[in-house]
Amino acid sequence: MAITNATIALTSDVTDSALAVSNTTELNTAGTTTGVNTMTSVTKVLSSTAQADLITTGSVSTTHAYVYINNPSTDDSKFFKITIGAHNGADVEEIGRLYAGDFMWFPWDVDDDITCIPSSADDMTIEYMVFS
Amino acid sequence: MATTATLTIASTDIAGDPVTVSKQATLTKAGSSNDLDQSTGLNRVHLRSVTQKTLLAANAEGNDLAAKVYIINKSDDASLYITVAINAQTTGKLYGGDFMFIPWSQTDTDASIKVAATNWTSSTGDIPVEYALFHEDTDFLTNA
Repeated sequence: MAITNATIALTSDVTDSALAVSNTTELNTAGTTTGVNTMTSVTKVLSSTAQADLITTGSVSTTHAYVYINNPSTDDSKFFKITIGAHNGADVEEIGRLYAGDFMWFPWDVDDDITCIPSSADDMTIEYMVFS
Repeated sequence: MATTATLTIASTDIAGDPVTVSKQATLTKAGSSNDLDQSTGLNRVHLRSVTQKTLLAANAEGNDLAAKVYIINKSDDASLYITVAINAQTTGKLYGGDFMFIPWSQTDTDASIKVAATNWTSSTGDIPVEYALFHEDTDFLTNA
């Protein structure tokens, strides 16, 4: 199986004693030390403020995946609301807003679609990768 | 003051050619280039509950403001996981060594981040979890 590593480094001088955190994890299938072996990488351009189905549960065949989403915009006013739950469903939960230059990385249980709502009807690019 | 987050994903064999993705973000306030200037610092808890516990309580005044959350499962056991949820919506499982870094909307006071050591038993030992929140807040004075 493939070996894929994810490393995060956080540095902050918000507090008087600076924070520096660095951790690396190997991306494995659920509860094992066997590496994930599937990767999807997509770039989309959205031109509407309607909720869009970004990553569907049907696109992943496992119950544990790792998701990377990136807003490559350089315009501070352009953000995506990233939500999870049935597309256009009543139980959709907003995770957070990806402002220009922001990314997110999280494990996904593949129970509900990951959706997004662009802040503008101008062309907005969003990128994502799924490892499973 | 500034906070940066850098994610690097690397694999030599998940595709026919090596894959490397590296992304750095400077954490800023909502819709601006001003740096986030508030932080909880790094925290550590030891989970031993199969039922949900609130890790970060949502502040409804945080809606429309920027917040970033880092959580890591520091267990050495790859099979031990914590389930992470926002409000009633589970997002995923952090297995031993796994981390997440997400924006957090705090759309209302129900949007707390909750964790549960779902497969914990008295024989597995506690699951150490570390987390940090970087944010802006209308309740406290800021310097920007």
